Amino acid sequence: MLEVKNLVFAYPDQKAPWNFQFSVAPGQCIAIHGASGSGKSTLMNLLAGFLEPQSGDILWQGKSLRHRPPWHRPMTSVFQEHNLFEHLSVEANIGLGIHPGLKLTQEDQLAIERGLQSVGLGGFGKRIPGDLSGGQRQRVALLRTILRQQPMMLLDEPLTGLDSDTRDLLRQLLLEQKALGSLIVLASHDDEDRQVLADSICRL
Amino acid sequence: MNLQPSAPFSRPGWRLWPGLAIAGALVVLAMAGLGALVWEASLPDMNELWRSRYLRTVVAFTVWQAFLSVVLSLLVAIPVARILARQSGFPGRVVLLRLMELSLVLPSIVAVSGLVSVYGRQGWLTGFANDWLGASWNLYGINGIVLAHVFFNAPLAARILLQAIESAPTSQLRIAAQLGLGRWWYWRAVEWPAVKPIMPGLAALVFTLCFTSFAIVMTLGGGPAATTIEVAIYQSLRFEFDAGQAALLAMVQLAICGFLWWLAARDGLTASLLPDRQVASHRSKAGSSFWARSGDAAALGLFVLFLVTPLIAILLRGLPGIGSAFFPEGSFSVNPALLDATLRSLAIALPAGLMSVSASLLILACGTAASQPAITRLTNVAAYLPLMVPPLVLGTGLFLLFRPNLGNSSEGLILVTLINAMMALPFVLQMLRGPMGNLDSASRQQADQLGVLGWYRWRWLHWPRMRRPLALAMAYGTGLSLGDFGVIALFGSLGQPTLPVLLYQQLGSYRIDAAAATGLWLVLLLLMLFSLFNRLGSPLFNAGLASKSSRTVPEPEHA
Repeated sequence: MLEVKNLVFAYPDQKAPWNFQFSVAPGQCIAIHGASGSGKSTLMNLLAGFLEPQSGDILWQGKSLRHRPPWHRPMTSVFQEHNLFEHLSVEANIGLGIHPGLKLTQEDQLAIERGLQSVGLGGFGKRIPGDLSGGQRQRVALLRTILRQQPMMLLDEPLTGLDSDTRDLLRQLLLEQKALGSLIVLASHDDEDRQVLADSICRL
Repeated sequence: MNLQPSAPFSRPGWRLWPGLAIAGALVVLAMAGLGALVWEASLPDMNELWRSRYLRTVVAFTVWQAFLSVVLSLLVAIPVARILARQSGFPGRVVLLRLMELSLVLPSIVAVSGLVSVYGRQGWLTGFANDWLGASWNLYGINGIVLAHVFFNAPLAARILLQAIESAPTSQLRIAAQLGLGRWWYWRAVEWPAVKPIMPGLAALVFTLCFTSFAIVMTLGGGPAATTIEVAIYQSLRFEFDAGQAALLAMVQLAICGFLWWLAARDGLTASLLPDRQVASHRSKAGSSFWARSGDAAALGLFVLFLVTPLIAILLRGLPGIGSAFFPEGSFSVNPALLDATLRSLAIALPAGLMSVSASLLILACGTAASQPAITRLTNVAAYLPLMVPPLVLGTGLFLLFRPNLGNSSEGLILVTLINAMMALPFVLQMLRGPMGNLDSASRQQADQLGVLGWYRWRWLHWPRMRRPLALAMAYGTGLSLGDFGVIALFGSLGQPTLPVLLYQQLGSYRIDAAAATGLWLVLLLLMLFSLFNRLGSPLFNAGLASKSSRTVPEPEHA
């Protein structure tokens, strides 16, 4: 269970601080809904550990994550863009999710190859992100998230701006992950995304 | 929970402590050297020495020649930078920019031999001036010193000014282009505001380089009337064995340079004080008419001639003798003096380059990892200390400190290597600062989350971006040390010369052809080193990175 308890944060020039509070169970998806500037991305960054809250706590399976650095939190983020290291190949980008020093076993390499085929990118492993379309890049980022096998996914507008085929494919992948027990925190403007994926909604 | 394997050297201390230790050691080393100087300087009667005509003459001449050099260098550099900024598309611009950067590493003793060929008594231009203009010109003395300083510093200053002009806000450039501003108003509205903030620092940089110049004054000074503090320190230590006087002179030099840097740094020195080879281009109406372009071409042509003629002279004079310099009198065995000097130079320069690059990387890593402003300040001070504490002054202090233990020449050479590495540090650090800091925040966040930390972050994120800048920095660090004729003259042994010392000895014994060949060999060695490091920096393989058909690693333009 992920529990966000009175998580308070304000930027230096912000008068009224945000106060986030919700809980989600594994295998569930919570959609974070709100207008631009309502704090969706800030919440994602707080959960991931990129921002430090002023007070409150984040609990996972009853244990506090608040003072853990990003690399010790059981989650992987996918943003709307800039999810990949531009100078590394698709394979290396995914591989770094499996081992941070890219020390991959044959099994890992096979998993990457199969994963790429499953998202329609078979044979794209040697390319660099600059050679891929927006949809292809998001598929790579999501595949890395899946292969990293962390129990939580933080998705910040991951499907915005993609064509309908790619959106359908990625939604399907996310539903599969949910069925396998992944907990998804989804920030999205899109009603359809929320209808298809979300089990609960948190309005900001 | 699937915990990530931890990366080697991923604890925050690994980024902080090594750099902090090096920065601290640099400051301690400088303080220890200065402390030794102060200790020694208490021996002579300072009032008496200060009243001495010799000291006053030396200080006055040092200040005067440095002042003249700054004024003339800037008078040349400003129009050159403006022309290069407005004429951004002419063929050979990149070559000219590289040529201007050469002044940073061209050994001064070699350049002086080229300048002598053009402006000396028998020089090409002197002959022309004497025959056709009836002018009498003497290179030796303040004329030659200032000319050589302008030769070295005008290109460097122009390069820095060009960078400042090119970094003017795009909106201003667009508005100026749209309004069709003429040259004067373009200068007032766009160029001057861009160069104004760096002018005090630039003037201080050129002044310090001229103030502490050693090889040029030694070779072109022409007598006691043209002695600078740096040369007087050398003479005190080497010939008069008067450590007290050397210490006092060193302190005077340090006080003047330190005061100057304090003045320049009061408003905060910008990081763009040294060229980082990243130059964009923009268009303005000011240089677009036929007459404007013709005028610019003529002015730039004169500047190119000024830069190139000494280099051509080095080539033409050295080429006939280079064969016999290596294989004297038809012998099939290599000239041992030249070979030994080459190996000795490389034995000093390569470790010095490596040390300066390693120290720069660790100091930069420490500066970015540190959360306390005091640590950041310490790393900044340590990095630019060699600009504020001239190497001969530092060398003098350390010489006095280690004097009883500097028993043999190899220990002296270790000290030379260390000080050469320190000398190169500000330049190398400036080259690496940009590439080291260009990992964007999105990549940093991704890397944090994926646990790509420590050694893994260096291997997969920094190294692909930094391979070429590192090779370039290594080339500059090595090149600066290879051409050093300051510290080595103080600590080196006459019987075991490096290439610049051998060249000086040959010039001193009027073996002009041999000196020309040695000079050319030194330049060729420098070019070979640059070429080698350039090759080492290029991506030889792409394993784990992008495919060969894809675009390669995005790197900064200067790489």
